[in-house]
Amino acid sequence: MHLTDVEESMLNGKKGEAVREALAFQLEVGKFFGAERFVPITNAHLMGDIEVMGNAGLGLLRRLSDHHGQCAVPTSTNARCMHFGEVEELRQDIVEIEKEKEIVRHIKDMGAVATDTCINYQTVYQPKLGEHVAWGDTGTVIYANSVLGARTNYEGGMSSFAASLTARTPAYGFHLDENRRGSLQVNVKAQLRDTADWGALGKIIGHPNQDYFSVPVFLGIDEMPLSDHLKHLGASLASYGSMAMYHMVGVTPEAMTSAQAFSGRHPDHIIEVTDADIASVYSGYNYLEAQANIVVFSGPQLSIFEMQNLAKLFEGRHVANGMHVFVTTNHAVWSDAKRLGYVETLEKSGVKILQGVCFYILQRLTQIREENGWTNLISNSAKLVNTITAHRFNTILRKTDQCVEIACSGKLI
Amino acid sequence: MSLKLQLSRAWGPTVEAPVLVMKEGFSPRYDLDRWSGVISRIGHTAEGQSIVGKILIIPTVKGGVAAGWAFYDLLQKGIAPLGLIFGKLNPVMVQGAILANIPIADGLDKESMLLLRNGANIKFDPSTKSITTVS
Repeated sequence: MHLTDVEESMLNGKKGEAVREALAFQLEVGKFFGAERFVPITNAHLMGDIEVMGNAGLGLLRRLSDHHGQCAVPTSTNARCMHFGEVEELRQDIVEIEKEKEIVRHIKDMGAVATDTCINYQTVYQPKLGEHVAWGDTGTVIYANSVLGARTNYEGGMSSFAASLTARTPAYGFHLDENRRGSLQVNVKAQLRDTADWGALGKIIGHPNQDYFSVPVFLGIDEMPLSDHLKHLGASLASYGSMAMYHMVGVTPEAMTSAQAFSGRHPDHIIEVTDADIASVYSGYNYLEAQANIVVFSGPQLSIFEMQNLAKLFEGRHVANGMHVFVTTNHAVWSDAKRLGYVETLEKSGVKILQGVCFYILQRLTQIREENGWTNLISNSAKLVNTITAHRFNTILRKTDQCVEIACSGKLI
Repeated sequence: MSLKLQLSRAWGPTVEAPVLVMKEGFSPRYDLDRWSGVISRIGHTAEGQSIVGKILIIPTVKGGVAAGWAFYDLLQKGIAPLGLIFGKLNPVMVQGAILANIPIADGLDKESMLLLRNGANIKFDPSTKSITTVS
């Protein structure tokens, strides 16, 4: 890789040991992908919590902190694995809670803003068309590339920290024009109304076409989708297909026309998605006999509009016996939802709201499931019903209003 | 007779170990019990099998940024795989493997994957971007 004088000085340790270690790591990643240079970034989004970092990752963070590593660009943080408040059903390890607090302290010392959110693109920072960033959460990456026209790869683990410390990232993947061209044509002939429908679309396309470098181009969307729709589509494509970008003709900024979306590349496949295809996603899930079940609205965290909608649907109703309901959102949305009365409405209905976390990454989740006897997990998030499966939940995707009906009636529809 | 298969891109030290051949994508967050090293996702084609000390043969990836930290964590817990060989991969797998100093490669085609049997010993040499079966 070609290194500038500044990068050479970083690699020689002239900018400190933390920066040296970060750039050396990035160099290895860049070499693997054949990157020829680094590209400057304006923003980083850190992904790291004790559930996935473990003691090893915490040790690395301590080392970076000991070496006085400092964020060189504005930096936010992803959702955490610990809910620090009291919640009866969630008995998380005290020792691990302390480690999570230590991680937050190190991150703050580095100069990051501890937003604890996987919807930074809705509530924290919206990079512009062509802006290079380094974001460490797949849902944030696909939203940035697709909806905002910004440029980032998945930056997992040390990679997001390294980018924040060096203010750059290797120029490969979605930083380069040639990888942003559409490769898969999707003719949408289905009516997509609920966020779950958009997630189902993501599953239909992502699951059989797992490829990070595949870029679906959606045609036939005749009604302008909302940010929350695109959020669930992207999160689902990223989850099932490991995809990092899509185009939607007439909607996303690099796809004003079909020709622009493909930029001369011939699609590998053409797929048609109908109402029947969406319906078959829902009918593909089967309930198991159970005494206790759980309904979760999470993955990604809820926006203020999703909180408003849920408050409206739950108002005057109560969670049924044998059902447990959780919502996750970030601190910013929670504060607004509190001020606007949505939190009170939801809590009065028996809904538990978790701040700054995402449900599927909760520490000790397998044991929490066992302790509560939860069998079926129902959600309007196609991503969540996919990502949580290592914890052996039986997952079911349903539309938002159906999730509320299931939660309040106890009937598994 | 040994079999030599070619890879596209590769990184890391040479290792020799038995393979665990998966028939579908893999994510340490979605599919793995990260306290035992056993595939725990219900219905995964390798459900119940351990990744510990194995070279994993994986056709594709799913999700997710967890691998960026997870392999490093597995290494410290003593339950890491010895190598990762993909058909197709994403950057997180590479970032996570480099952090944990686990050799990684992509570009193993579907036909070649069919030639590898679970438990067979292979030598994975990233410097030559190749794997060789070892009797």
